[in-house]
Amino acid sequence: MKRVLMIMFALALAAAAKKHATYDPTLPILGTKFHSLPAGNGRQLVEASCLPCHSPDILVQQRLTEKQWTATVDKMVRWGAVLKDTDKPAVVAYLSKNFGVTNSFTPAKTRPVGY
Amino acid sequence: MSPPKGKSRTIFRVIGIKSFVHREIDCHVMTFEGIDRRRFLLLAAAPLLAAQKAATPRVRESMLQMNGYAVNAETPLALLTDYVTPNELFFVRSHWIPRTPDPKKWSLTIDGEVERPAQLTLSDLKKLPRAEATCVLQCAGNGRGLYAPTVPGVQWRYGAAGNARWSGVRVRDVLERAGVKATAKHLHVFGSDVPPGKVPPFQRSIEMEKVLADGILAFSMNGEPLPVIHGAPLRLIVPGWAGDHWMKWVVRLSPQAESQKGFYMETAYRYPLTVGAPGVAFKPEEMSPVTELFVKSNITTAPRKAKAGHAYEIRGFAFSGSPDIAKVEISDDDGATWSEASLDPRHDPYAWRLWSHRWTPSRADAARLCARATDINGHTQPRDAAWNQSGYLHNSWHFVDIEVTA
Repeated sequence: MKRVLMIMFALALAAAAKKHATYDPTLPILGTKFHSLPAGNGRQLVEASCLPCHSPDILVQQRLTEKQWTATVDKMVRWGAVLKDTDKPAVVAYLSKNFGVTNSFTPAKTRPVGY
Repeated sequence: MSPPKGKSRTIFRVIGIKSFVHREIDCHVMTFEGIDRRRFLLLAAAPLLAAQKAATPRVRESMLQMNGYAVNAETPLALLTDYVTPNELFFVRSHWIPRTPDPKKWSLTIDGEVERPAQLTLSDLKKLPRAEATCVLQCAGNGRGLYAPTVPGVQWRYGAAGNARWSGVRVRDVLERAGVKATAKHLHVFGSDVPPGKVPPFQRSIEMEKVLADGILAFSMNGEPLPVIHGAPLRLIVPGWAGDHWMKWVVRLSPQAESQKGFYMETAYRYPLTVGAPGVAFKPEEMSPVTELFVKSNITTAPRKAKAGHAYEIRGFAFSGSPDIAKVEISDDDGATWSEASLDPRHDPYAWRLWSHRWTPSRADAARLCARATDINGHTQPRDAAWNQSGYLHNSWHFVDIEVTA
């Protein structure tokens, strides 16, 4: 019994040492929602059609021309994104305006993987 | 950009846990009477926990989130300084939210061009001879965010690469046990992850010659059970080849005469056969699947500010689709002259080489350091990576700006 307890103790210490690794515990965990989409005409359509499968990070880091956004939106519609044809111009305009070639993005810092 | 939404809640939760632990420990220190064994253990651990907490970290560990769901994260370049990248700092690339198999019910199906189709459990696999490789895994799109003109996709910069020790069994042993036929030229690989909507499944094939020579089915990463986020219970390891071949959550291997069809073979993960003009898209038939990694080096450690006449240690890593690096060179005059860096002796085939270089700036000015690697097959890292519309295999020289004062 004593030996078992000793082993448990050692394991607990090892786990504690690992959990107290050198990361900053005030950092959010990986998978946290960091970004909201900027206000503007088309935002709700973008939220409804893109965010079921992507978190906002992937949108706000893009730097694409209107032509590239059109091709991307077309691809996503082929792949099952729910978007009416009549709503497509507003979505492309919103994405091109907010996440055009001059857009800049700094990824959010998180804790290490699994913490 | 608006402030991070979920952040305050996350912080609150963490502080809550920490203060709970500390309060409990303090409480036991104060009331020493009637202490039971469990409490004694907690009490005994208190100074050690405190010491852990007080230890000043070398570099604070973190990751850079590229997408929240499905999870994609790169490692800050400054943290890629170890020969073996720790699991918790290893970049994560996921196409979509995985459906992770239950390891107890999991089995690997072997079918196709084999004499004896089979279903193997993990314990069946573990009866085969163990195989291990320490090698680089790099996402095909690492550096995509550095291409100009810009291209769509995860805007990886430098940190979608890492070097790990992968253990498991040889693909060759598994397929030979099933009696793989000579007619099989391509190994079709299937994972348990299922895409949403009408998104094509992430299915790949890989030339049999390569996978029989080097392929490993890994269930362990750096001596620990393979983490789910990295493909547990089983991941295909293809040393020297880009990450699109390193399939996660593998459930089926099917040797076939022809290569796999579908979006991820015929449209995505293709690289141009010739060099074109930046911004001009290639047709799928003008490209072939991404396979071997390109020779590349990055600077991980350099001062932001330096004093003229003082020496500084510049460090980094270099790797290639060839099994080893021959040399890494450093320039501080935009590539006019180069000095050879020292290569770290640690090496395994297709692993990265850490390197270091003692650099002494001669005069007060803005300095620009860059590194370039050459592999043992004579490939040298180009000044500019060849532009391609999907942003694969970026390997331009890596420049770092340093302000030098007198």
